[in-house]
Amino acid sequence: MRTTPDKSVFVPKRKDTIVRQLCDELLVYDKATNKAHCLNESAAEVWNLCDGKRTVAEIVPLLKKKAKAPTDEQLLWMALLRLEKAGLLQNNLPLSGPVCTLSRREASRRVGATAAALAVPVIASILVPKAEAAVSCSTLGGVCNPRPCCAGMLLTCVAHRCV
Amino acid sequence: MGVRVSAEHLLEPLVSHLPAGWKPESSRTVERLYSVIRGSVSPRPSVRPFSFLYADAQQLARTLHTEDLYDALEADIDFYLAQAARQRLFVHAGVVAWKGQAIVIPGRSRSGKTTLVKAFLQAGASYYSDEYAVFDGRGRVYPFPRPLSIRGDNQTSRLRPETFGSQTGTEPLPVALIALTRYKAGAQWKPKVLSPGRGTLGLLANTLAARKQPARALAMLGRVAHDAPVLASTRGEASETVAFILQVIGS
Repeated sequence: MRTTPDKSVFVPKRKDTIVRQLCDELLVYDKATNKAHCLNESAAEVWNLCDGKRTVAEIVPLLKKKAKAPTDEQLLWMALLRLEKAGLLQNNLPLSGPVCTLSRREASRRVGATAAALAVPVIASILVPKAEAAVSCSTLGGVCNPRPCCAGMLLTCVAHRCV
Repeated sequence: MGVRVSAEHLLEPLVSHLPAGWKPESSRTVERLYSVIRGSVSPRPSVRPFSFLYADAQQLARTLHTEDLYDALEADIDFYLAQAARQRLFVHAGVVAWKGQAIVIPGRSRSGKTTLVKAFLQAGASYYSDEYAVFDGRGRVYPFPRPLSIRGDNQTSRLRPETFGSQTGTEPLPVALIALTRYKAGAQWKPKVLSPGRGTLGLLANTLAARKQPARALAMLGRVAHDAPVLASTRGEASETVAFILQVIGS
């Protein structure tokens, strides 16, 4: 089995994104996909340390220095995997080596249950809805299933559209 | 925005459908122009006297009853305002006030927001909104007091908060708590406290201008979710959730 060299370099997606720090977390809005992501502290550290120049081998000691809980290379790979799944990496992870053996349970076992809550990288994502989807009723031309057409607009639901 | 009418007497009933805090403006240039046109009786009996509502050149409604146009006008103004406002951010949510602070209940359509708002009003809260939480840059929430839209089996009735013995708030308030919830038959309200980041996502998912103005939305909502606790859970009966939240705020 081929192992991934530690000299791997990963680049977070910076283009078309809006990034905002909120206490320990990082909010990332991807304008290309209209998805918003919330990176917990561990994932945010990895996002910040990956700059397209530092290798995995270089990032691990920096991560250990900054992290509040025990961390190791496997947790770095877990963060990278989750960033990739969220569409927040420019390049793909290799389909071999450390990424194939990652699991949250294993990570929790290695770093201890209490510390795991801090150390395990977590990314929550949502698809930001269109304006029409975030209201109680649909106006002319809007989708009327499951929302009704706005009562005052004298609209009828035809083929899932308010007309 | 501007509104023009085909007959002067149409203006008076129209005013009550404008958003709270509207002010007359002398400028003749507007971003969106509504036209309310009353149908006139034709000498030919086969021609029915339809009344029309237009937004710019787009026909929004056509009816034989002119008063129906006002509800249509209100619905469109609210939606336009919610996505086009530059100083404020509109989140689809119910809002009530309790002891000088706001309780914000964001949620999708049919998630049970109105039921929860109604239960808060019956518990003595003041009414702020059944549809939108309107935030400013300081994280305060403003009233947007349209009558409550209560869905029945076949139709929606609109009830004023006074029906429930409640008053309507007039001042912007800081947020005491945000409850991300939806009704599920038989569920129990077992809330988790979300981190500010997760709370921001919960608000963002109900924000009308989120796609148009993501940077502004993230900044404003991040502040709101940072300053107030965000609770998330499915809920069963509204009274149980209301009692819990009021106890949390009281303590």
